[in-house]
Amino acid sequence: MIKHHPKFELIQSYVNGELPASLSIGITLHAELCSVCQQKIAQLTEQVAERSFDELSNPLLNELSKLDFESDITDDDFFDSMIDDITDSNDIDTFAEVMPKQVIFKDKSYTLPSALNNISMGKAANIGKLSRARLQLDENEIHSNLLHINPGGGVPEHTHKGFELTVLLDGSFSDDRGEYHKGDFIMLDGSFTHNPISEKGCLCYTVANDALHFTQGINKLLNPIGSFIY
Amino acid sequence: MVAAQTKLPMQVSHVKSTHMTENTDHTQLCEWLKEVAENRCKISFTHLFKFFAPKIQRIARSKFPNEAQAHEVVQDTMSNVWRKAHLFDANKGAATTWVYTVMRNVTFDLLRKIKNNREDNLSDDIWPIAENAVTEDHSYEDHLENKQLLRVIEALPVTQQEVVKGFYLMEMSQEQLATHLNLPLGTIKSRLRLALVKMKVQLGEEHD
Repeated sequence: MIKHHPKFELIQSYVNGELPASLSIGITLHAELCSVCQQKIAQLTEQVAERSFDELSNPLLNELSKLDFESDITDDDFFDSMIDDITDSNDIDTFAEVMPKQVIFKDKSYTLPSALNNISMGKAANIGKLSRARLQLDENEIHSNLLHINPGGGVPEHTHKGFELTVLLDGSFSDDRGEYHKGDFIMLDGSFTHNPISEKGCLCYTVANDALHFTQGINKLLNPIGSFIY
Repeated sequence: MVAAQTKLPMQVSHVKSTHMTENTDHTQLCEWLKEVAENRCKISFTHLFKFFAPKIQRIARSKFPNEAQAHEVVQDTMSNVWRKAHLFDANKGAATTWVYTVMRNVTFDLLRKIKNNREDNLSDDIWPIAENAVTEDHSYEDHLENKQLLRVIEALPVTQQEVVKGFYLMEMSQEQLATHLNLPLGTIKSRLRLALVKMKVQLGEEHD
C-alpha cells in the first residue's frame, strides 16, 4: 500500500513541465504505481490545458498580444509558411514497442520502468550491501541514481543539506518514522535525519542535490560513503 | 443552514461540468484532429494551426528569452500534431489536453537542451503522448478479470470446480486429474467441457 505521495505543488510543477528531469522521472515512476496521483495528474493536465488554450479565460495575455501589433503581422506570414513546411511531408510517427530494460544488482535482476528506458546508466559500484548505478542526466548538482540495498543492509544515520528523493521501485525499507513500500515517494529536506534499513532488500530511484552527511559518532568516518550515494 | 450545505457541492459540480465546454469548441477540435489523422487533411490542420499556434507562441514567449526559440516550440509542437495526430484518442481526453501535452514535452526537451546541453528528448518517456498508461490499466483489468473468473469458477458445482481448478489453476493434465480424483478419464473430460460451457455463458453475459 502506497502511503507517501508527492505534494500538490510538486505535481503542479510536474504537469507544467517546470521540474528538472530527475524529479519529473521520480513522479512518473510513482504515478505508474499510484492510481490516485495518476488521476490527479490527468485532472490537472486537463485544467492547465484548458486554461492555456482558452482565450477568454486568459484576457490579460490576450490584451498583451494585441499591443504587440507589429510582430503579429510578421507572424502571419511566418505562420503561413510554417504550415506549408509542416504539411509538406506526409510521414507519420509510429511507436516501436520498446523492450523493457533489465538491470542486475548483486545477481538479482530487475525490469526497469519504461520511464528509465532511454537514460544511460553507469556501471554499478558496490560498498558492502549498498550498490549504486548513476543515471546520466547531467543536471549539475542534482544527482540521480539507482540504489540497491541487499537484505539486512542500510544507510547509516544521516542528514542532507539539500533534498533527497527516494522512490521505492521494489522491496521495502524502514526508518524511525515507519516502513516504506514499493511505489512510495519519499521527499526529505535538510531538516530530517534518518537511518533507513532494508531487512529484505530493495531497489530505489534516488535524487539528491547534495552529499549525504553522516551525523553519528563513528559513522562520521563514513562520510565518503555519503558522496558515494549522492 | 442545512439547505445551504447541501447546495454547496452541487455548485461545485456545476462549475466542473461546464468547465470543459465554456469557450472552446472541443468537438470541432477533435474533428479536425481526426481529419488530419485519417485523411491527412491540410485544411483541418490549418484550422488547428490558426487556433493553437498563436497561443503556443505566447506561452513559449513567457518561457524562452528569444523569439527564435518560441518559434521553434510552435514549429515542433505543430509538426508533432501533424505527424502524431493518429495517436490522439478522443475517448481518453480533450484535444486541448493532448496538444498541451505535445507542447509541454517539446518545451521541456528544448529547455533541457539549453540548460543541460542534453538532447536526449526524455519528455515522451516522462509524459507519454500515446497513452502508455494503457498498459497499466490493462494489467489492472486483467487482475479484475482474474477475480471475476474466480467468482465464476466458485459458482460451479463442486465436482466441476475441482476439475477446472486442477486443470487451469494447478495446471494438472487430464490424466493426472483422473488419477488424483480416482475417476475415469472420460468423466474428467465431460466435466471440464460442461464447466467451460457454463463459464462461457456467465462471462459472456457479464462482458455485455
